[in-house]
Amino acid sequence: MGMGKNLLREKAMKTLVPWHSRFDLMGITFLLFLAGAIGSLPSIEGSGRNLDYLGNLARFAEQFFPPDWSILGQTLDGLMETIQIALVSTFLAIALSFVISLGASRNVSPPWVLWPTRMALNVIRTIPSLLWALLCVVLVGSNSLAGVIALTFYSTGYLAKFFSETFESTDPSAQKALKSLGAGPVQAFQYGLWPNARPIVWSHCLWMLEYNVRSASIIGYVGAGGIGLHLKLYAESANSWNKFSVVLLCILAIVTLLDFTGERIRQSLRDKLEGKQI
Amino acid sequence: MMEAESKLLRTEKLGLKLGKRWLFRSLDLSVPPGCFVAVTGPSGVGKTSLLRLLAGDLPPDEGFMSFPENKKFGISTIFQDLLLANGASVLTNALSGCLGRHSDLSTLFGFPHSEKEACLVMLEAFGLSNKSRQWASILSRGERQRLAICRTLLAGPTLLLADEPVASLDPEWGNRSLEFIKSTQLEMGGSALCSLHDEAQVQRFADYALRLHPESPEAWVWEKISSEKKQ
Repeated sequence: MGMGKNLLREKAMKTLVPWHSRFDLMGITFLLFLAGAIGSLPSIEGSGRNLDYLGNLARFAEQFFPPDWSILGQTLDGLMETIQIALVSTFLAIALSFVISLGASRNVSPPWVLWPTRMALNVIRTIPSLLWALLCVVLVGSNSLAGVIALTFYSTGYLAKFFSETFESTDPSAQKALKSLGAGPVQAFQYGLWPNARPIVWSHCLWMLEYNVRSASIIGYVGAGGIGLHLKLYAESANSWNKFSVVLLCILAIVTLLDFTGERIRQSLRDKLEGKQI
Repeated sequence: MMEAESKLLRTEKLGLKLGKRWLFRSLDLSVPPGCFVAVTGPSGVGKTSLLRLLAGDLPPDEGFMSFPENKKFGISTIFQDLLLANGASVLTNALSGCLGRHSDLSTLFGFPHSEKEACLVMLEAFGLSNKSRQWASILSRGERQRLAICRTLLAGPTLLLADEPVASLDPEWGNRSLEFIKSTQLEMGGSALCSLHDEAQVQRFADYALRLHPESPEAWVWEKISSEKKQ
């Protein structure tokens, strides 16, 4: 019996992984990243002057307090406009992205549709939202329509990518089962793949809405509507940091609220799809 | 010639390999309409592979198989892994069995009323009607199994292939489901090939048993189950 155990142990120990197996793709890329970060340290330089960093920070932060709540009313108006921009642009982006994502999904589209679509999405994503906003302000003037157009384009670049990745990574077994039961390709997608992808797709939509509220808060800085305009106004006028802080607090409140509820909804959708919620 | 056409399935010298190992060879089957065939043998013997071969999922390594050449003939499978759409309701999952009878366009905004009615009757028979609005993901394993049976029965295949359709059901639901599968197939003049582990169920429901042999691929047995043993 003891003999048998020893043999078993010997056999089991042989299956221990050798040291060099740690240098897989993850290990090597991590080392490269670490080397890159440490190697970059010497080239990051400050102004070289001897400044009173903490004192500067304290003097600057002091101006934020106490917040000047007298401007709360107009701040909330700006916030409302921001949320409206985010809602409309997310809605338009979802509609656009659904169609475009089918073109960017390997398991739906042929290569001659796939690659041009993916390239176009890459290009859209390369342009930051602030640049889209600037472009749209030039096109349609300084108003909230510019913000809607800008954010629609910007978030389509992301959403269409998320959607297509969802379609590609969703368990296709039900889709195959339906094909074998005689369903056509559209039916197999609609009733086999889409139900499994739908909760994930909606999770991405909610995330995009959150993200767009954040983006819509800043694009006003270049004139594309929303609360960003207030930020710019108070940042550039004298002695207005205490008003600036009210705007910041309002943005913080709405973003935190959205983040919290969004996460709860996403988690519950995931649980339900995985059958954890009875 | 007449006799040949009246069979739902014929195989001649059919053989299938898994890697280098033959699962079965020289398999000659002839399945008439209205007949319930149990496929038996220990796990890994090739029951699932045989059913996949018959469904056209796998190509044979030798031999031939033939099916009736009329438009109404159809083969559908109850999959061992069920393959349900987790994020769709029980009703939608069951209804998607009938997709083959309708065009892409006609089911784009829902299913025809007549199909819904037939489907609800079937769900009621399988004890699932009170869960018809729930997602398939939150059903128990046994309920999911019954749902998979419903879906394939609604496809109305002439030749039904069932891969251990009652493996995760309690004995009562197992027997009820086999009874339902058998009577549905008899009613429409179809047949069923069903892999089973429980010998009592084989004796009770099957007209024939195809017993695959774990060691010898050519030692399969085609056995008629005598009707006296049935309850």
